[in-house]
Amino acid sequence: MVPRLNPASGVPLYLQLIEQVKHAIETGAIRAGEQLPSVRQMAENLVINPNTVARAYRELEHEGIIELKHGSGAFIRESIVPRAKLMQKAQTVVRSALDQLESFDLSEDEIRRLLENELASRRKSKKRRKAYA
Amino acid sequence: MLDSTDAVVAVASLSRRFGSKAALNDVSLHVPRGCVFGLVGENGAGKTTLIKHILGFLRAAAGQVRVFGLDPVSDPVSVLGRIGYLSEQPDLPDWMRVQEFMRFTEAFYPKWDARYAEQLREQFGLDPSARLRILSKGQRAKLGLLAAQAHRPELLLLDEPSSGLDPIVRRDILEAVIRTVSDEGRTVFFSSHLLEEIERVSDHIAMLHQGRLVLCGPLEQIKAQHRRVTICFDAQLYEPPRVPGALAVTGTGREWTVFCNATQIQLPDIGARIVSEDDASLSDIFVATVAGNR
Repeated sequence: MVPRLNPASGVPLYLQLIEQVKHAIETGAIRAGEQLPSVRQMAENLVINPNTVARAYRELEHEGIIELKHGSGAFIRESIVPRAKLMQKAQTVVRSALDQLESFDLSEDEIRRLLENELASRRKSKKRRKAYA
Repeated sequence: MLDSTDAVVAVASLSRRFGSKAALNDVSLHVPRGCVFGLVGENGAGKTTLIKHILGFLRAAAGQVRVFGLDPVSDPVSVLGRIGYLSEQPDLPDWMRVQEFMRFTEAFYPKWDARYAEQLREQFGLDPSARLRILSKGQRAKLGLLAAQAHRPELLLLDEPSSGLDPIVRRDILEAVIRTVSDEGRTVFFSSHLLEEIERVSDHIAMLHQGRLVLCGPLEQIKAQHRRVTICFDAQLYEPPRVPGALAVTGTGREWTVFCNATQIQLPDIGARIVSEDDASLSDIFVATVAGNR
């Protein structure tokens, strides 16, 4: 996998790397049991600080996506496969929703804005619920 | 706070004047071992002056500078032998050939690794028989980088290394930074005004503005503290709203963007709502901090 990071976006680089590893698993670019480049190799490939890569790998391990084997590297967990299947299933849901929205004659930008606004407001109400709890 | 006991560079209350101009004003910072420390600031902010103090080229007029726990002015041999230094415009003896220059530089460093030097020369595509006079700006930077690295210094010190260079040479320089810090315990200190580069490779940053340190700490912490919040008012505003804790406020009409310390966000009590909240890039933080300190 060849992740592409964009420091200008403001999103922390380790989060960008995590997203791209997940994306690569969902698209099948890397598969269960396969190995990610070592921290050092990934840092040199991407020209980013090794601590940033290590941080991303630790979070991925915490989320159960990869397994860090001491001295031998980072491996994609087998248990991630059902997750990938779920994502494929979700993709068909997204596709049919998009078909419907397009029939309303909405542009791509409008659809993206709708989705992002919806996600943001859900995030906010979740935060609020947490604050009251 | 950083652990000062394991600091490769420790600067305490350093001040320096050039005539009536305060080049450095009460600067204190620690560079922890094994980190990439990025120094940012506008031209003339005092970056090079600070670096010259670390190298012992300037004596601290007020305050103290320690490198590896030593005074770089009184103990230059033990300090400089463990530092690899690349300046913005490396001063190279133009009449030498590449091969001669490598042997010449080797003589200064007991720990020079000739095989590593040769490996870097090949990687950088430098012709050993070329006279330094005919090298391009990029090739000079690469040769300077080779000379700064080949003795595997404990501290690699780069002053505006990428200034005016093409993306390929800049990548070589950043790779050298990554390679250095990947080797256990080695440290990189570099200054740049290319904030994307700093954000890519640094884990600690310091920001100088008119000789003062306006920000200093782990990059992650500094990024977590700063947010870019877009707010929207019911009515048009003709001047920026006052937002407590904001570093900078920009915009027009109903929509305004506020840069703030996340812990301090407090909306003005005049009917504003938050439209979006984003992470700020280092470049956003830099512009907002400098604007807030004018």
